[in-house]
Amino acid sequence: MSVWSLAFRNLLRNRRRSLLAGAVVMVGFAAFALAGGFMAQSLEGLREGTIRNGLGHLQFADPRGFEAGADSTLEHGLTDAAEIEQTLRSDPGVLEVLPRIDFVGLVTSGDRSVPFLGTGLDPAPEARSMDLAETLASGRWLLDRDQRSVVLGAGLAAALRVGVGDTVTVLATTTDGVLNAVDASVVAVADIPIKELDDRFLATSLGLAGDLLMADDHVSRFVVILHDAADDRPVLQRLLQTLKGRGLDIAGRTWEDLAVFYRQVRLLYMGIFGFMGVVLVVVVLLATANAMLMAASERIREIGTLRALGTRPGQIRRMFVIEGALLGAAACVAGALASLAIRTVLNHSGIVLPPPPGVTHGMPLHIKFYGETYLVGAVAMALTMMLASYLPARRASRMPIVDALTHV
Amino acid sequence: MTILEGRRLSRTYRLGSVRVPALDNVDIKIDRGEFVVLQGPSGSGKTTLINLLGLLDRADKGEVLLEGRPVSGMDEDQRADARRDLFGFVFQSFNLIPVLTALENVEYPMTLKGLPRKTMRRRAYEVLSRVGLSGKQGVRPDLLSGGERQRVALARAIVNDPQVVVADEPTANLDSQTADGILDLMRELRDDREVAFVVATHDPRVVARGQRVVTLHDGRTLGKP
Repeated sequence: MSVWSLAFRNLLRNRRRSLLAGAVVMVGFAAFALAGGFMAQSLEGLREGTIRNGLGHLQFADPRGFEAGADSTLEHGLTDAAEIEQTLRSDPGVLEVLPRIDFVGLVTSGDRSVPFLGTGLDPAPEARSMDLAETLASGRWLLDRDQRSVVLGAGLAAALRVGVGDTVTVLATTTDGVLNAVDASVVAVADIPIKELDDRFLATSLGLAGDLLMADDHVSRFVVILHDAADDRPVLQRLLQTLKGRGLDIAGRTWEDLAVFYRQVRLLYMGIFGFMGVVLVVVVLLATANAMLMAASERIREIGTLRALGTRPGQIRRMFVIEGALLGAAACVAGALASLAIRTVLNHSGIVLPPPPGVTHGMPLHIKFYGETYLVGAVAMALTMMLASYLPARRASRMPIVDALTHV
Repeated sequence: MTILEGRRLSRTYRLGSVRVPALDNVDIKIDRGEFVVLQGPSGSGKTTLINLLGLLDRADKGEVLLEGRPVSGMDEDQRADARRDLFGFVFQSFNLIPVLTALENVEYPMTLKGLPRKTMRRRAYEVLSRVGLSGKQGVRPDLLSGGERQRVALARAIVNDPQVVVADEPTANLDSQTADGILDLMRELRDDREVAFVVATHDPRVVARGQRVVTLHDGRTLGKP
């Protein structure tokens, strides 16, 4: 007769009460697991989106380039672009190296002029590694490095009242401070998820951007895509060492260093999820503490007997805590099964969530299975149950034995 | 040889703001293998004395000595260990654990001692057989008769080979024939194991079987304890 067996049988003593307390824990666990799965999935989506929408896993630029804004058009451009690109490609962790020229200016069509945030890029590897080519609402992606065409954000195209096949004039200041302009055809209109960017987005080939800015093969930065995103920091350190060894004064950042919005959203999510978790724990604690208090009150006389027979007060408390842990564990298993079933139903429901602030598209509801959430939920619920059991057990175990034996 | 002794024991209870003296300056000695009966009217202090001697309660004044050593310095865990190792308890209402079978109720005190499972099972079977309950091992208390429950309680009380069994009104809830059977069993166990019995009772049949009878009245012993 182990204390575990005794605790288990005590749980079966009042099945209805145990079931009710277990149901509270089960619902609490399922809510925790589902919310955690949704949050983790959202963050993963945001992370992938942040990386694939242009940030990449790593970025390398002149140290001053990271401090300057996008309006510093090649002021701190990289002059040894070819050597840097070759060095970056030589690392086994690197999958793709994407040179970029960042610039700002005005794009005009007829009597309309709209400011833009432009990027000169190498179209083919960008299409392979980034999601930009997949966001096209109409037209087709740029074909080569020297194509004299542009891709406009849908908002920018609408402001200019242009579409695929129209010609626009792109104006920008060269590295020497001279205003320059080139004509370019609109080959595609992209649907950029973030509205503010959609209204200003312009992408073109490195060739056109270089000609416009008179860049002489300079680039603003290199975006690096890795084989494994988890290796970002080790690869960054390795590459910085290699670049330094070759006398190249280049700074590097991981995507997370640069993704301010992602960090803010993650903090917000953690705050919301943490608050929700605390509320759930308090609700479960209050609901189950009442049940465990009843269980302890009904067994005061029995506790007196156990103590008379030589059971230490700590052993009495342990027995109740084990009861709570057993009930919590069983409820968590049921909660896990329930949350998996609910998750399956929701993921196949086709529900689309409204777009978050700054985003133009709604997101399909998708709750992924994250083992960590289930583990944390189980630990939180089990600890809550143990606490709910401990408090009445502590009171009962401290009662004088003679009072407990005569308790009615 | 004295194994349990109460010296000048006093105990007062509070009922609201009223102090009710339950035991006043009582001396008592229990020798090994002795069958001592505490008798007296209700409120005379029998249960209070038995609770103090069985380390279930603490005296306001006086001292309990167990095998010659005072117990006043013991903390709750040490008192629990002493009750587990040196005492057996029999209650008027049997006080069996309802979720455990007869066998498991008997095993429980051995569980507290951490004995091996096989040893516990063997001894529990032996003791249950000794109290005449072979074949009832797997039965839960609610399916046993009053006499059978008290036999299980008696088996539980002696299974750890205690020095003293403390029994509070052990026959009060039993018919006379069953009560006689329980008393016979107590005497046999005392003879077999040299275990002392301290029995508080109103029952004249129990008093008649006492090797020594201590009479209490208004919290004091009458005559020489």
